[in-house]
Amino acid sequence: MTTSAPSVELVDQADADQEIITRVLAGSKDAFGLLIQRYSDPLYRHALGMTGSPDVAEDILQASFIKAYQHLGEVRGRFDAWVFRIVANSCKDWLKNIRRTHVSYEEDDQPSSFSTPEEEMDRNELRTDLEYALARLPESLREAFVMKHVEGRSYEEMAVLLETTVGALKMRVHRARESLQALLEEKYA
Amino acid sequence: MTDEMPDASAPEKPIHRKTPPATPMVQAWLDGEETRDHLATDDEQETAELWTRINSEAAQLRRRNTPIHVQSRILNSLTDLTALPDEPVAAGFKLSTPMMVAGGVVILAIGALLGFMLVR
Repeated sequence: MTTSAPSVELVDQADADQEIITRVLAGSKDAFGLLIQRYSDPLYRHALGMTGSPDVAEDILQASFIKAYQHLGEVRGRFDAWVFRIVANSCKDWLKNIRRTHVSYEEDDQPSSFSTPEEEMDRNELRTDLEYALARLPESLREAFVMKHVEGRSYEEMAVLLETTVGALKMRVHRARESLQALLEEKYA
Repeated sequence: MTDEMPDASAPEKPIHRKTPPATPMVQAWLDGEETRDHLATDDEQETAELWTRINSEAAQLRRRNTPIHVQSRILNSLTDLTALPDEPVAAGFKLSTPMMVAGGVVILAIGALLGFMLVR
């Protein structure tokens, strides 16, 4: 596994998280809100990328934070990595159980940065196709692709969160790209 | 919206390609290790074009944030819950090492006493 010294920022953040955890365990429920604020966005994006459904992503996020809260005393090491694994496992469980139904990003009500209706139509089509192609990937490849391309994480960060090696993750991302390209190129290449 | 979801757990089928697979140079470009100038062939440029579109869509997803109501929903759901430390809350005391040693000595003494009485 490729390892490097943690940055000062990461160490500071881990220390700050630990302080918050101590406060929460001492009875300050509101302090947990700081952890929710700090980590909900990247965790939500992961759940959204993995499930393709805003509603499901919200539910997974809520259930994961509740679980994290109830087991907060079990945190060893970085809180962000620990809570990420709760969310990631929940996503995998959901994918195992739900393969029958396809829910789409069409529920998306976020503002668009595309200016013309034609661009908007192209974008919606590509998004739908990308989501469908992602759904055809094995879970491990989908997870690696989402973390790299959708969440914009570095391989080193992914290796810490998934407890594997940079080399193994590169392999997964490369294979995911191969598969996605094969699925999308017929229409877009 | 409901459609049949493909079974991602099924074995991967052979891929029939329209364009060549991404070369190591394209993969390196996508990994941020090379610039696009290093993609020499037309095939690589074509692949890069496709990935520019895919990455543009991925970037849209990257800007997604948790809906505001979700954070407060999570906090509200914690109302009746308690964050537990990683130790039995009901236990009134912890066994310390000296206590365990003393307990062991007592058990050994009782065992020895019983053995002595049985022999007699």
